[in-house]
Amino acid sequence: MNLALDLAQALLIVLCAPLVRGIIARWKAILQRRRGASIWRPYAELFKLFRKEDLVPPTSSAIFRVAPAVLFGATVCAAAFIPVLQPSALLASRGDFFLLVYLLALARFFLSLGALDGGSAFGGMGASREALVSSLAEAPLLLGLAAVAILAHRAELAGMAAWTLEQNVFDVSAVHILALTSLAMVTLAETGRMPVDNPTTHLELTMIHEGMVLEYSGPSLALVEWSAAIKLHLMLALLVALFFPWGMTSHISGWGLAGALLFYALKVVALMALVSVIESAVAKLRMYLVPDFLGVASAVSALAVIFTVLVKR
Amino acid sequence: MGLVGIATGKVLSSFSVFLFLTILLLAVARRISTSVLLFSLQSAVITAEVLATAIQEKLAEAWVVGLLVFAIKVVAIPRAFFVLARRLKTVRDVKASTTPTQSVFIVAVMIYLSYAGVHSYGQAVHVPDDALAAAVALILTGAFLMVSRTKAIMQMLGLLVLENGIFLAALITTFGMPLVIEIGIFFDILMGLLLMGIFSFRISDTFDHLDVSKLRRLRG
Amino acid sequence: MFTEITAGAFVLVLALLGLLVPLILIVARAAGARKLAIALILAAVSAGCVVAVGGLLGQTAPVLDFSRAAPFSFSLAVDPLSAFFLLLVSAVAIPVTLFGGSYFELHQPEPRRRWTWIFYSWFLLSMIVVVTAATGFAFLVGWELMTLVSAALILVEGDSEERRHNVFIYLLMMHAGAAAVAAAFFLFLPFSHSLDLSALRAAGAALPGGIRAAIFLSAFVGFGTKAGLIPLHLWLPRAHPLAPSPVSALMSGIMLKTAVYGFVRFAFDFLAGGPSWFGYVVLLAGAVSGLLGVLYAIAEHDLKRLLAYHSVENIGIIYLGLGTSLLFLSNHAPLWASLALIAALLHTFNHALFKSLLFLGAGAISAAAHTIDLEELGGLLRRMPITGTTFLIACCSIVGLPLFNGFISEWLTFRSFLAGSVLTNTRAQIVLPLMVGVLALIGGLAAACFVKAFGVAFLGRSRSAEAEHAVEAPVPMRIGMTMLAAACVLIGILPGILLHPLVSLGQALIPGSGVPEETLIIARVIPWTAAIILGVVVIAVLPKRTHRMVPTWGCGFSQLTSRMQYTSTAFSKPIRFVFTRVYRPDRKVERLPTDQPYFPVSISYRSVRTTSFEKSLYRPFVEGVVWLAQGLRRAQTGNIQMYLLYIFLALVSLLAFLRFQP
Repeated sequence: MNLALDLAQALLIVLCAPLVRGIIARWKAILQRRRGASIWRPYAELFKLFRKEDLVPPTSSAIFRVAPAVLFGATVCAAAFIPVLQPSALLASRGDFFLLVYLLALARFFLSLGALDGGSAFGGMGASREALVSSLAEAPLLLGLAAVAILAHRAELAGMAAWTLEQNVFDVSAVHILALTSLAMVTLAETGRMPVDNPTTHLELTMIHEGMVLEYSGPSLALVEWSAAIKLHLMLALLVALFFPWGMTSHISGWGLAGALLFYALKVVALMALVSVIESAVAKLRMYLVPDFLGVASAVSALAVIFTVLVKR
Repeated sequence: MGLVGIATGKVLSSFSVFLFLTILLLAVARRISTSVLLFSLQSAVITAEVLATAIQEKLAEAWVVGLLVFAIKVVAIPRAFFVLARRLKTVRDVKASTTPTQSVFIVAVMIYLSYAGVHSYGQAVHVPDDALAAAVALILTGAFLMVSRTKAIMQMLGLLVLENGIFLAALITTFGMPLVIEIGIFFDILMGLLLMGIFSFRISDTFDHLDVSKLRRLRG
Repeated sequence: MFTEITAGAFVLVLALLGLLVPLILIVARAAGARKLAIALILAAVSAGCVVAVGGLLGQTAPVLDFSRAAPFSFSLAVDPLSAFFLLLVSAVAIPVTLFGGSYFELHQPEPRRRWTWIFYSWFLLSMIVVVTAATGFAFLVGWELMTLVSAALILVEGDSEERRHNVFIYLLMMHAGAAAVAAAFFLFLPFSHSLDLSALRAAGAALPGGIRAAIFLSAFVGFGTKAGLIPLHLWLPRAHPLAPSPVSALMSGIMLKTAVYGFVRFAFDFLAGGPSWFGYVVLLAGAVSGLLGVLYAIAEHDLKRLLAYHSVENIGIIYLGLGTSLLFLSNHAPLWASLALIAALLHTFNHALFKSLLFLGAGAISAAAHTIDLEELGGLLRRMPITGTTFLIACCSIVGLPLFNGFISEWLTFRSFLAGSVLTNTRAQIVLPLMVGVLALIGGLAAACFVKAFGVAFLGRSRSAEAEHAVEAPVPMRIGMTMLAAACVLIGILPGILLHPLVSLGQALIPGSGVPEETLIIARVIPWTAAIILGVVVIAVLPKRTHRMVPTWGCGFSQLTSRMQYTSTAFSKPIRFVFTRVYRPDRKVERLPTDQPYFPVSISYRSVRTTSFEKSLYRPFVEGVVWLAQGLRRAQTGNIQMYLLYIFLALVSLLAFLRFQP
């Protein structure tokens, strides 16, 4: 029963990811006083892409063909770590947040290699900028998660969510606020959202993530786009699980699960609204200001770690 | 204890967190309007703290002080700043002399130092560490803002943040100063601001800018 | 029975490497003799593996005593720590020797090749002696032999002025380090009656604080020079690229690890930890080496220099683990100390595997494309698939991606940092979790660097005619590389193979520790993760998809050439820009002709990055020594009466000393 529920959680993250993307795009359009596409549009895109054929540059090698699959596999495996409806997931009780972050790093490594395989300048540009952003974003991500783990006295994601569940929601802890701030900034950087990267740009010289996937088409592009959506959903679910997990059920029952699903949907929808507002309100940072942005995130997360000692909770 | 009681208890124990947040955001803010907004948020948190003290200690004077803080620091002074900035036609940028990353690291070190500094004192006076450390951090941040921001308006703001810190420290250690002293401090600040406002106009008229770092050209 | 076998095997190893192989090579000149010599070397290192495994399984240590043949006590023994490092030496030597057999055929003409193999077998012998030495004298002999033989191997390759200069610097720094190591040994002498390792261990328990600190510092500096810690790393990027690739693989993969062995021996076995500043010093050195090593590596476009700087970075990571362990020891937490030590030792083994593989790959590239400059390579994966795949596996391992062995040791290091939060010492409680951020930054930058290295060298279009016509490496080279790659993947998916003996080793070195449960956790979760990822990848790749060749998108421009791709320098530019204070390049732009600045005929751009240590640390030091020497020179007047005066003064002061002695 538990295994089925864990699988269902992972599938929820994977299958609802395009919906998350569609809703955010729709709300951004409304904020910009347009009508916007339907929220189910990304699904239609994926179906269309899966039925097309792959276009492959003649200079590419096996890496170009294999990279989307590895990217997808690693991201789906990372999705199996996040507790959604209950404070446990498929790998959450055995795997910890280091493994989660490094699985995402594995995905990004192969994506960058695939970008360089196209033999064009745009792939190199995208990969080089992504290298800058990701190398500076790993430290605040791991430090923020470590701060929460130190408070919870365990590093497994299931344990961290369970510990937070037991805390009083009004007992605001400095560590949690600082960690949330830095993890929110890192989420924007890692998932390629404003102000770090514009996911809807069509100017190649301004692209970071889109530049890396410029050469892909057909099913490969479908896998890459889906992985990006899963990563966004995954990071939002991680923030919810670590900082606002109230609503998760500890015991399995029909009503409990329905309630947990409803609470989860509400929380993720709130986060999505926040993301849409931020994306519409701020301008994209010049690339050499992104290290400043991530430097602030690093300082805040380092402060969070220091506070775990100063604030005896 | 009732909902109000719980709320005041929570305010008293957790508010320093929000003060630290405003301090960090002030370190990286790049526009004057953002900084002024953060200052008014800070003052709002301190108002809540004063009101919570009023409810818990049942002091009538504290209500008056709280209302004064709200009226002056949350409403009047920020409005005055916005008006001033618009009339002076200053450029919106804060003109910091340190990059945001350096600023936030410096502020983080200051927060750590304020904790280390108040640790022994706080235990002696039976006062929660967090609140006193927040007060000292506010003082240090005010000083840092005055040092690192080269616009005259931002130096005024730094002075105000510093005053916030002193006010908070006094509030925590004495749990409610006599009203007279409070009003005296307020008038002090008001006079200082008035003078600085007048001088800002004069400087801006004469030199066409408010950049304090260019004062060096006045040397003989 | 087993003990006799391992003892006999040990003798066989030494005899083969030390005597038989060089003899055959010197005496016989036929090609068959060379093949026999290579086969004997392989047999010797395989026997070494047998001995090592025996030692790890806890068999009684075979002790070989040659004291009667040598002026000081010289004996070799295999205890669990030696067995681990002996396994490292032997296991990595097998594929490297296989590779070298075919590499040297292609690359070196006849008389040099013989001498290369003679020095090669002595190199292996010296490293085995260092790792299994049971007396101080044996250790120092092996230590010096390693330096001399590796310098000889570099000089056999060629004899240019630049090569001799770099070898000179190498020998100079190695001897300075060896002096520090010898000092560390000799400082024990007033407290221990001999330099046997067992006597040193016994004496270490009762040392006064000042002597303990002095021994620790000289051991740290001496072994740090050999390991390549910053700022003692200057010889690494000079010496490693000059050696032929199999020798670079041995130097970077194994020789640096003997320094780690020496440091572990001193800090954990003899001194058994110390005050907490030991741990902080090692942590600081590890963090600085890791960060600066990877930053210098990103700026390189010579593949071997890049790999040499990455060795500095990985030694930094190993020392992070060792420093953490020392810190836990001084805070009386033996379980976590054992965890950190296991993490450091596992990273040592993993680094030996993937660094050798990387250098062998660089050798295969240089054999095929006759250059190791990344700006001249490109598109090699389609022409050299096996080399490319094994190189990719090594890249994934060194970056620390899951399913490869580098991840396991980095994960264990991260977990040991996190465990620092349960100590009661406030400073350690703050410093250790902050090291999570440091290691994360190092890992992120390493990933960026290897995307660059692999991507520019193997993917895209070829940037030169040589790379265009590159040919896959011959079979023995491929076999050697595949063996190392398979080992990386095997340890990455089933880490229990190495973790189990390492846990017993940890218990032997740190008394009072149990089995850290992190080692069990990771052994359980990784196979599941691998299964899920591989399952999804297979499902995604399986459906038969049609694909069409279409030219790369060039924004409407159709004649894309290889010069329009991103180069290695361009790829690393953003990171170099952000970390500009670390690099401080001297840039010179020259426009010709100089009297027509707006209509140049040619523009040349030169950027020279000297690591700032040369300017700020070494040059002043060297100038100070020279100044001192010049000052002393004034005492040499050439006047014979002055010299007679010196003798007279010496006699007078001796008489005065005798008179006024208390």
